[in-house]
Amino acid sequence: MFGDLRRFDTGPSRGVDWFRQLMDEMFPESGAADIRSVPRGSYPMINIGRTDDAVRVYVFAAGLAAEALDVSIQDNVLTVRGERPQARSEIEGGEAAYFRRERGSGEFVRTVALPDGLDADRAEARCRNGVVEIHLPKREELKPRRIDIQAA
Amino acid sequence: MNEVSRQQAGQQPQTTDQQAREPQTEPAMLPPVDIFEADNALHMIVDMPGVTRDALRIEVDNNVLSLEGDIQLDMPEGMSAIYAEVRAQRFARRFTLSHEIDSEAIAARIDNGVVHVTLPKKQSHHRRRIEVQAA
Repeated sequence: MFGDLRRFDTGPSRGVDWFRQLMDEMFPESGAADIRSVPRGSYPMINIGRTDDAVRVYVFAAGLAAEALDVSIQDNVLTVRGERPQARSEIEGGEAAYFRRERGSGEFVRTVALPDGLDADRAEARCRNGVVEIHLPKREELKPRRIDIQAA
Repeated sequence: MNEVSRQQAGQQPQTTDQQAREPQTEPAMLPPVDIFEADNALHMIVDMPGVTRDALRIEVDNNVLSLEGDIQLDMPEGMSAIYAEVRAQRFARRFTLSHEIDSEAIAARIDNGVVHVTLPKKQSHHRRRIEVQAA
């Protein structure tokens, strides 16, 4: 799965993210950051994978109904937009006192840049167990082709 | 805390039950949690996207509630990653319960990647209204 992603990983696991965030705030990056980069742990988290004939985007949007999420593509920039209701409104009942509040709620927008040569017209998306999968096929002319070598 | 207990487990020089410990040492993410109190119960709402009902394990052991879930994604063969924020295959988080929780009555359900755990308080700890008598 995305297990082999760990070779892309530059730091320790996400369990120490609060520390990383603290350090990021104290020592802002002096170098140039990607214009669309977000702090780690933003909602929803996004993974992108590539096969020979398609690119797949996984949006980890727990608790979001398919109709509450708006996915659009323009010039290889994928935009995911939606709104998540507050947890308390999911529970019927009177007063609630919060002890811990880590899940985000409200509106969100995220954009990611995709590789070139995707056929947005044939894109498909589906929602399962709180993960939205967006399947973006590559255009025919960009798929890898086998070239036959002819005998002289 | 998760990190700490995992490291300690790894440091123990035992090799006999290393096999049983194997899944525990896999990297896990801490899922974000909301906890609030309502209707004589504590409610926990946990985000675990990609976790199905069968892949979710909730246990109470020695007054510690542990939630673990494996992320199940539909991944085609030969896929390589070009960008990833989710870099582990499972979620795991543990909480110590307070004594007023009735651990026998804990209930949980999962819907669209969101786990809702209800932890009712024991009857003796329910909120009571006390009548003030006229003098």
